[in-house]
This record gives sequence, C-alpha cells and structure tokens, in this order.
Amino acid sequence: MNKQEFLFQLGQHLSGLSNGEREEQLNFYREMIDDRMEDGLSEEEAVAAIGSIDTITKHIADEVSPSEAVPKKRWKVWEITLLILGSPVWLSLLIAALAVVFSLYASLWAVIISAWAVFVSAAICCFALTVAGIILLFGEHPLSGVAVIGAGLVCAGVAILLFLGCKKVTSITILLTKKAVLLVKRCFRKKEVT
Amino acid sequence: MDLQLKRGLLDVCVLAAIQDEDSYGYKIIKDMKPYVVLSESTLYTILKRLENCGMLTVQTVEHGGRLRKYYRITQEGRKRIEDFKEDWKEIVTIYRFVTKEELPHE
Repeated sequence: MNKQEFLFQLGQHLSGLSNGEREEQLNFYREMIDDRMEDGLSEEEAVAAIGSIDTITKHIADEVSPSEAVPKKRWKVWEITLLILGSPVWLSLLIAALAVVFSLYASLWAVIISAWAVFVSAAICCFALTVAGIILLFGEHPLSGVAVIGAGLVCAGVAILLFLGCKKVTSITILLTKKAVLLVKRCFRKKEVT
Repeated sequence: MDLQLKRGLLDVCVLAAIQDEDSYGYKIIKDMKPYVVLSESTLYTILKRLENCGMLTVQTVEHGGRLRKYYRITQEGRKRIEDFKEDWKEIVTIYRFVTKEELPHE
C-alpha cells in the first residue's frame, strides 16, 4: 500500500472525528511516513512500519478513555428555561412536522398497496374472463366467447404491467426507507461522537 | 500494567525525550525505542494530552519542502519530570514494603 492509499483509508476510518481532528491525525501519520522514508525506507516499507489501519483505529479507541472523551455540551440555565417556555410552540411544530412526514409516507404505502390490489383483481379478472370465454366459445355464443377471451387477455396484459411496476416501486420504496433510517441513525451517532 | 500508571509513565518518557532539545514525532519514537517501544497512535495521544495540559508546545517548521512538527517542553513539563522523580522514591519504598525487602541501613 502506498502513502496516499494508506492516508485515504485511514481518513475513512476516522470519519467519526471532527474534520479538524481528522486532518491533524492524518498530518501526523503523513509526517511519520515521510520521516521514515527520509530515514531510508521505501514508501511501502514506511507505510508497513506504521502498522495496520485496524490496529491504529483500535488503538485510538482504546486510548480515549471515558474521562477523555469529548464532554457533552452542557446546557445553560437560560437555554433550558427558553426551551421549556418555548415548548408549546416548538413541540407542537415538531409533532406537526413529524405527522406530515408520517402521513406522506403512509400515503405512499397506501398507493403502493392499492396498486398491488389492482394487480390482484386484474389477475383474477384475467383468469375468470378466460374461463368464461372458453365456456362461451364451445357453447352457444362462440363470437362472444372470443370477445370475452380478448378482454381476459387485456386484463392479463394490465396485470403483467402492474406487477412489474408495483415490484419496482416497492423495492425502491424499501431501499429509500432503509437509507433514510441509516441517515437518521448516523446523524444521532455523529452527535454522540462530536 | 495498570493503564493509568502506564499512561503516567509514558507521559514522563515522552517529556524526557524532549527535555534536552526540541524533537519531532519519529525522532521521539527512535530515541525511546531502546527503552520503550511506542506506536505512532500511542505517541499521538500522549503528545496531544501533554499539549492540552500545557506541558509542551508545538512549532511547525519547514523541513525539506514539507512541514514537520517540533515539540518543546515547557516549565510545567519539566516540573512533571521532577515530580515523577520524587514520586518514584516513594514508589520504591512501597515496593520494598510489598516485597518485604529490607530498607537500606542509613
């Protein structure tokens, strides 16, 4: 591994730190690699001498004892007072915003479920019309039978299109939901670290 | 070894490595190597801690077309070394008590 690759990978592993702290750590390791190279090691040897990234990140985690962890922001009295006094406004706005987001999300799923329901009914119609059409075809009204079978085939086409569309939209919605959950989780985790 | 004790000892070791002249990260590791093997990640944490405690200061100096950080011990840092030497005498006495070793005749 060369220096750039090492620093890039290390930077990714230190993504939990603030930008300033991460940059400081990367500069430290950059200097260490440069000094080893100046001492006669090749770039690869200098990087290898630093140790694996996993060991470094584990070491950093071990070294930061609970007492050294960045202290949590302490709220001042006036901030708490303001927060309590303003709670009727911001709390109701927050609940309203959450309710809007939830209702939009629920509506999206309602549309998707309805589309699936239409697909199921189209499939049932297709089956029923085809059976009825065959009965008519070999009965007294062969022409009507052909027409009914045709209608059954139209239903089959609609069902196939709906199935493909519903499947795609459902998978996209599930994927977006997962991403949104991860994003929210990451926001909370970042707040804990920084 | 107890983590807190080890931390305290390593802090003093790093201070001792820069007590005669300003030094930089790689040189500190090299100078300490015959006595204590220190990894880069451990050294970084120690240097950061000592800087935050005001026991050393950092100067960025241009070297060979790049920047290198030099660490300089402060009066606080020198006092930490002296305190350690005093503490050590006490620790040796306690050690003798624990191991039932006889005190030297005065």
